[in-house]
Amino acid sequence: MDQVLDLAGVTRRYGPRHSGVVALDGVSLGVHAGSFVAVMGATGSGKSTLLHCAAGLDRPTAGRVRLAGRDITRMREAKLTRWRRDRVGFVFQSYNLLSELTVRQNVLLPSRLGGPHPHDLDGVLASVGLGELGGRPVRELSGGQRQRVAIARALVTQPVVIFADEPTGALDPTTGGRILQLLRRAVDRDGVTVVMVTHDPVSAAWSDRLLLLRDGRIVADQPTPDAAAIADRLRAVTAGETVVAA
Amino acid sequence: MNAGLTRQALRRHPWSFLGPMSTQALAAAIIAGALGTLASIDRAPLSAAARQVLVETDVPDMAFIFVMISIYLSIFIVAVTMGATIGRQARDIALVRAIGATPGRVRRAVAMQAALVAIPAALVGVPLGTWGGRAWLDGLIAHGVVPGEVAFHASPVALPVALAVTVGTSLVGALIAAIRPSRVRPAVALTETGAPKRRTGVLRTALGLVLVVGGVGLSVFIAHGALDQAEELSFFTLLALCVGTGLLAPTLLRAVAPLARLLGPTGTLAADNIAARAKAFSGALVPLILAAGFAIIKVVMHTTAAHVSGVAEPPADLWTEYSGTAVYTAFAAVAALNTFATVILARRRDLAVGRLAGATHGRMLAVLICEAVIVIGAGLTTAVGVAAATMLPMVHAAFGTWMPWLPPSYAAAGVLGVIVMVLAGTVIPGALAMRGPAIQTVEVDA
Repeated sequence: MDQVLDLAGVTRRYGPRHSGVVALDGVSLGVHAGSFVAVMGATGSGKSTLLHCAAGLDRPTAGRVRLAGRDITRMREAKLTRWRRDRVGFVFQSYNLLSELTVRQNVLLPSRLGGPHPHDLDGVLASVGLGELGGRPVRELSGGQRQRVAIARALVTQPVVIFADEPTGALDPTTGGRILQLLRRAVDRDGVTVVMVTHDPVSAAWSDRLLLLRDGRIVADQPTPDAAAIADRLRAVTAGETVVAA
Repeated sequence: MNAGLTRQALRRHPWSFLGPMSTQALAAAIIAGALGTLASIDRAPLSAAARQVLVETDVPDMAFIFVMISIYLSIFIVAVTMGATIGRQARDIALVRAIGATPGRVRRAVAMQAALVAIPAALVGVPLGTWGGRAWLDGLIAHGVVPGEVAFHASPVALPVALAVTVGTSLVGALIAAIRPSRVRPAVALTETGAPKRRTGVLRTALGLVLVVGGVGLSVFIAHGALDQAEELSFFTLLALCVGTGLLAPTLLRAVAPLARLLGPTGTLAADNIAARAKAFSGALVPLILAAGFAIIKVVMHTTAAHVSGVAEPPADLWTEYSGTAVYTAFAAVAALNTFATVILARRRDLAVGRLAGATHGRMLAVLICEAVIVIGAGLTTAVGVAAATMLPMVHAAFGTWMPWLPPSYAAAGVLGVIVMVLAGTVIPGALAMRGPAIQTVEVDA
């Protein structure tokens, strides 16, 4: 199968060369097309840094990243931006949208920034349950509706991979479940790859593959078990035990 | 299309454009006033001889110089004030960068914002400038610089020229201001929260110290050296001291901040804020030192001359000299005021948190005023020092005395002007920033 994402020995250090903090410590990872990967770990374990480096939002201090078939490690900023724009979708926990623009304007933002033409805008809006709200300013929407706008924006360019950073972090379980359902459907129906960082075992249970991080290293990489088992393993990893794949 | 980010910024943070807009309005006003004066001289029913005399006065040259000053100062100050405006948009910029806006596109969107607000600014500035130009010309006539036959006519090209200049300088200034923020990696801005924690570089402090020590050394050297070059050399003293104190400004503010603790709990809060935001506040300190230093030197040289010789200078000369100084000072005052306003408006959330923690409106305003008093006090004290170091050798060379002279009424007017500045720069934006229920501000800006 195709590797959509390929990280080799990726290290990200913040601050001075020797005394700085190591957020990622030589992480290697391959992600196949059409899979749903959840990344978990305690606060400060390097989850978000991994996502940022993999998505080309940040550059590793060492190692290399291949995204959608190209080495992006040393790509020039403008070129990297276009590469990202045409192949990657993002859903963040917050600051997902431009609050003063309408739903439709937000969803069209990537294509207005020069990205691919929107594919079936009305269909995408309807599929995330926003068919009626296209003209509403985003600031008038609820948290769950906003997150659906973000997903519509990520889907409308037909990306190869969607990166999601705590997409349900600010939502109640029911609303969060609907958001995850949308991501799951993008994987199953459209063959999109999803890489999602989360704190929540119930959210992670929607994925196919579970990565656990501690101190900037991957300490477990296995098919996703159910939510209760995820919670157990997360506790074990946070406590410092080595997890053996089930 | 850059419209997304531009529309977002104009609707979400309209007050953050106060700085660039007031700079543009001032530039447009000065251009309209200067062009009006030139047009009035052109149209005046004067004999060839009288016209020749008028052309040979400094007035047409000065009008031209005012236009040039406006162009370069507005590029500079729009760049400074847009820096703060862009800072308010860090999150939005990171978002659009993540989903596909290149750094170049972000820079163009920011330039577009500045150019868009330049249009209403010019529309406000031109009538103000026409009014100001009339007052200036009346002053010139009253002091006998310009013959009474000259009547003020607004220039028909004032509006198009002012629009072209303000839009053009805003584009250039905003593009300069956007270079660094547009290149920040999206991940950095998405994860960064609260006030940016940047430490003052050792190099900056060292360079500042070298320049200040060098400037003072030069001043001492000039005072003991060749008298005929005092004025030329003093320019370098001024330059070294202004740049040097500018570099030292954050360090200086952190050093004087504890003085505010003498004013009780309110002062303690203010002292902590100044220390935490020394870099942001130094944006107000630099133009303040420049403007006050320059104005003090200009005015005191003239008043000392009159005091020592006992002969008053021709009011006509004074009028033209002082109006030039006033243009510089106005730009610097706008820059300083805007820095205050921007720093305060950017703290909406902090002020709301303070109110939720139990502080009243009045108490929070008192903290803001206290901060302004400390910063402006530090700026003025530094300016007096800079002016003294620059001026004393000049005074000594020209008048053979070490005692400069400033009439008490002038000093009082200066202090009054500063008090008005403190109040305008803090109370108005402070009240604006604290509109509405605190809890709403905390939630909206979260």
